[in-house]
Amino acid sequence: MWWSLKELIAPEPVQKQPVVAWGRAGSGGEEGAKLTDLSSEGWPVASTQKDPTDFDEKLGTSPGVWTGGEMANPVPSACCVVLAAVVVVYAQRHSQQDSHIQYERVGADVTMKCGSMDWDAAVTWTANGTDIDDSHLNGSYLILKNVDLTQSGQYSCYEGSSWHLKYQTYLRVGTPPKEPVLMCRSNNYPKGFYCSWHLPSPTYIPNSFNISVIHGTREMVCEKDIFPKNRCHIRYLQLFSTVKYKVTLTVTNALGKNSTSLTFDEFAIVKPDPPESVVAKPVPNNPRRLEVAWQNPSSWPDPESFPLKFFLRYRPLILDQWQHVELSDGTSHTITDAYAGKEYIIQVAAKDNDIGTWSDWSVAVHATPWTEEPKHLTTEAQITETTSTSTSSFVPPPTTKICDKGAVVGSGAVAVCWTAGLVLAAYGVLFI
Amino acid sequence: MAAADTPSASTLRRRDLCSRGIRLARKMRSDVADLLDIYVERQGLDASVSVAAVEGVPAAAVEHWSEQTGTQRLLDNLAAYRAFRALLAQMLEEQREQLGDADAALGRALAAVLLQVSAFAYHLEELLELESRRPPGDDGDGPPAPPRLSLFEQKLRGLGVLRELAQWAVRSMRDLRQLARPSPGPSSAPGTAEGQ
Repeated sequence: MWWSLKELIAPEPVQKQPVVAWGRAGSGGEEGAKLTDLSSEGWPVASTQKDPTDFDEKLGTSPGVWTGGEMANPVPSACCVVLAAVVVVYAQRHSQQDSHIQYERVGADVTMKCGSMDWDAAVTWTANGTDIDDSHLNGSYLILKNVDLTQSGQYSCYEGSSWHLKYQTYLRVGTPPKEPVLMCRSNNYPKGFYCSWHLPSPTYIPNSFNISVIHGTREMVCEKDIFPKNRCHIRYLQLFSTVKYKVTLTVTNALGKNSTSLTFDEFAIVKPDPPESVVAKPVPNNPRRLEVAWQNPSSWPDPESFPLKFFLRYRPLILDQWQHVELSDGTSHTITDAYAGKEYIIQVAAKDNDIGTWSDWSVAVHATPWTEEPKHLTTEAQITETTSTSTSSFVPPPTTKICDKGAVVGSGAVAVCWTAGLVLAAYGVLFI
Repeated sequence: MAAADTPSASTLRRRDLCSRGIRLARKMRSDVADLLDIYVERQGLDASVSVAAVEGVPAAAVEHWSEQTGTQRLLDNLAAYRAFRALLAQMLEEQREQLGDADAALGRALAAVLLQVSAFAYHLEELLELESRRPPGDDGDGPPAPPRLSLFEQKLRGLGVLRELAQWAVRSMRDLRQLARPSPGPSSAPGTAEGQ
């Protein structure tokens, strides 16, 4: 059996009084025509049901006006009362949560009043749903001393025994902003430049940023990037100007504001992105050469009109000292003094030919110069090993390498050779 | 096809003049930077002091730079360097009046830059002739005589002149580089960059 919504929400017999139809078109509820489940009389229905006009006809009232008639079934009525109550409470809480946020500084003492309740009213305070001990109360006021970040949350005040919600606020503990850090740079000269910023330490509450760019008497628009959010970019309206740019950033939150400024000229902030696609390869049959090639950074818009020069640095992994080469044109270079067989690390940086500063170093690449394939060892390996059967004298086996200063490199190797020789000699003496 | 790929004598001449011009401008910029340091020190000025635009000093700042034609670039440059030639001569005269032979270093530096500015202006005239444009007449009088300035105002004006000249040197390098690029015609705007 199905009931219309109106039947379900009428728990008691209603007096014989006309009731304005809910959602019925032409009966004060114009929006009823928009409902998709209207019955023929305009009542929203869950499914098939008794036609409300049956009741209307029975009671003699006009169609679409419901008078209630006899008592409704109590079980579904109670469910809907509870449901309605939950909806109301949720709406109340939700609207209050959205409407009242309280910001306080770390270390502050906070006093909360329970709405319009008198000081001596009996109330209960909760923090995030947990009852707050009476020791924090002064009458009906909640006192929080020396608040810290962990005390941020939803605070609610309920009247004594009725548990009516009387006040609710969302406490957010934070700090006013410190002086922001601002940086401006042109990596796409001559198109424009960008400025980015951040706070040196978090405030723990929402901040808003406002940036202004002045060039002489002209205020320029800094278009905010979608990502990252803390960046905006400015298009140059003029080039080659001696007039400096002044950029001012102001950060504001509920607890205070702070600002910083930068003043610079057009050329000083030009800094390209690092070169891209750096590749280093050995040169066949050249044990001391490495060929390095790279590309202009893709963010540099017009390398033909605004050519870049490059700085290349390289070193073998086993050494700390870099070699440097500055290249005024071209995007490749051949290293000709590499140590044979040693792995190298290579990086490249870029700079506008005439103005600005060097880019950061590119991603490092590794390469080892060409080496000849090692030949097979033949001479010593083919010598037949002879062993001495005579005990009258000690003859070291042919495979033993006699230490020769000219044949070894490094004093350590010489010491090992002589030690081995002495051991063998001692061994031989034992068997004489 | 081979003939079409071979640059004409005019194109080669233009590229050669542009390359030499770029080298001249680069050297000039370097010397102007050194002169600025000497000037600020000798005149007892703060290097970071702002100088308002002064009448008669050609400003290097330009809007829509990338949309300029080659001829326009040359004409703007020539007008600027002729003006600087007169301004530097005036500064040299003032410096000799104020300091006499007491500050030979500043005088020599000023004279050296003046020589380079004159040479560069002549170079630009050559380029204009190559573009089949007769350089506008140089009346040699330079900008109109400025009102009598105080000593401090003269010093600030001189600082403004040298700063603008340094900017112009950079702009000239860029202009000549644009001019050296292959273009459909001598008076068209080669390779406009977006936004400028």
